[in-house]
Amino acid sequence: MEREPFVIATTERGRIAVSPTAITQIVGAAAAESYGVVALAGRGRLSRLVPWGIKKGVDVDLRPEGLVVELRVVVEHGLKLAEVAEAVRSRVEYELERMVGLPIASLEVHIEGVRAH
Amino acid sequence: MELEVVRHLARSALQNLEAHRRRIDDLNVYPVPDGDTGTNLVLTLRSIVEALDASTAASSEAVAKDVTRAALMGARGNSGVIFSQIVRGFVEVLGEHQGVSAALLSRAFRGASDAAYRAVKRPVEGTMLTVIREMAEESERKEHRRVAPNDLLRAVLSAGEDAVARTPEMLDVLRNAGVVDAGGAGLVEIARGMVHGATGDEIPEAPAEAESLGLDAIHLELSEYRYCTVFVVEGDDLDKDALEAELEQIGDSLLVVGDATALKVHVHTDDPGQALTLGTAVGVVEGIEIANMHHQTAQREERLLEGAPSALQTLETGLIAVCPGRGNRRLFESLGATRVIEGGQSMNPSAKDILDAIEAVPTDDVLVLPNNSNVILTAEQAATMSEKNVRVIPSRSVQAGFAAMGRFLPTARPDENERALLEELAAASTGEITVASRDASLDGIEIREGAYLGLVGDTAVASGPDLDVVMNEVVDRVLAGGQSFLTVLTGENAPVLDGLVAALEERHPDLEVEIHEGGQPHYPLLLVAQ
Repeated sequence: MEREPFVIATTERGRIAVSPTAITQIVGAAAAESYGVVALAGRGRLSRLVPWGIKKGVDVDLRPEGLVVELRVVVEHGLKLAEVAEAVRSRVEYELERMVGLPIASLEVHIEGVRAH
Repeated sequence: MELEVVRHLARSALQNLEAHRRRIDDLNVYPVPDGDTGTNLVLTLRSIVEALDASTAASSEAVAKDVTRAALMGARGNSGVIFSQIVRGFVEVLGEHQGVSAALLSRAFRGASDAAYRAVKRPVEGTMLTVIREMAEESERKEHRRVAPNDLLRAVLSAGEDAVARTPEMLDVLRNAGVVDAGGAGLVEIARGMVHGATGDEIPEAPAEAESLGLDAIHLELSEYRYCTVFVVEGDDLDKDALEAELEQIGDSLLVVGDATALKVHVHTDDPGQALTLGTAVGVVEGIEIANMHHQTAQREERLLEGAPSALQTLETGLIAVCPGRGNRRLFESLGATRVIEGGQSMNPSAKDILDAIEAVPTDDVLVLPNNSNVILTAEQAATMSEKNVRVIPSRSVQAGFAAMGRFLPTARPDENERALLEELAAASTGEITVASRDASLDGIEIREGAYLGLVGDTAVASGPDLDVVMNEVVDRVLAGGQSFLTVLTGENAPVLDGLVAALEERHPDLEVEIHEGGQPHYPLLLVAQ
């Protein structure tokens, strides 16, 4: 079962929609390129219920008020976690707004682990 | 790695970075264009400098530990986090050894690069990462293997500059915006400050670069519309989304932020009138700014063609210092003086000399440090002759001016600078040692021709043939207020100070002493405590 695509714009000629998979890919790529993130963590609680459109460490959902994004990441040991989390958050938010243009209702970054070197 | 040396290098790095902070902020388009890279790097580096000031680390290893910890705790923003990791990798290597060689430095650069890369899952090239890696690679080249450490540092710095210049080739976001990477540029300025601190080379003036025009550059590439329009709407029950939806119809680069009582709007459009009409329809419009981006683009091209020193545009406050000696000139320049006029005791510059310098400075607000009681009046006279907004900071000696100068920030507003410099000036305690030109009796001190004469403020406090005796007396008086930081500016033909400094440190174990070659005539030593 493929999830319903997210409609991001409605025009006279039809709707423009983005699949949840595409959004998780955008989020996943932005997170993986964020400094301090060494891995995206294992599957989230939603993955057991909805086996599609979920990339490792990323959950996205579209609610009437906007996108709900949950990210689970592993951060390198010896970095300031709050700053890394904030950088991930702002980067993901920026990329989503730039590429998708849907409002973001919530964006949570969970640091699931710290990788010691 | 000695604490003193590391302190000096970190301060020097911070100083240079601060001079470039705004330019680097303007470059910031990646990863998120929020224009804070320079500021974040400054804050991160500043916390390292402060931690070093407080540190009592006695071994190389302990210094490394303190620096690593300070970088971690003080890291601000994305660039600050990357920098903290670079610092960690760098000092980890140096901390394991005493002394410094080209081979060891090369391993430290490699350590910095490896540490930086291992903390990200998918490294992006064209960023700070690329710059530190290329610096490490340069340091490992065969021909640098047996060179002096300073020569290696110079080569590495130039490789860093080269890497920064090529970042737009590696990252599309940068190429599209017409800028180099902000983090990479910041890293090079930090390195430049350190290398300068290590080698004593003069820091070149910030070069004329397109990269200092970040915001124009972004506008240049990203908008097809002509006018950048900014205004604030005030009202009782503003609907942000509705206004946004309407503005979207007439332009791009749209940004509407705020709440139901006030919204700030930024939009690129061909019809700024229509944008304002949409604003006035829902509330009261204020703070309107409309810029013709095509015009800005044309101006930018003109500036580039002329090779104008566009970096100067980030200057808020110019500063002119009067002082004697090549070393002092360099010191004042390295602290950010826009112009230095040679002069001082027995060779006072004219009001015209000072006026010419004021007019030549590219800012409308200018501070003048006369650095001599005889020059203060001349400077004030020059100030009244200029159309510019000139403030004279009445420093009565070179060393007092030097102390005040420590707080000067060319990128800060003139009133802030004036306040900071006056504060520092009031707190500075100064002394000087000269050689008596004839026999005399002064303030109850018997003075023989050719003997050393110690003065504190304008009062003679000691005289005699032994420099260390006179120096001890002067230092004790200068430090009477419990100051912990002493700067010594040595004059031309100054005696060797090694033994003196060692004795000084023994007498005042908590004192931090910094010695610079000032090169002034007549005064073998100028001292200031802070």
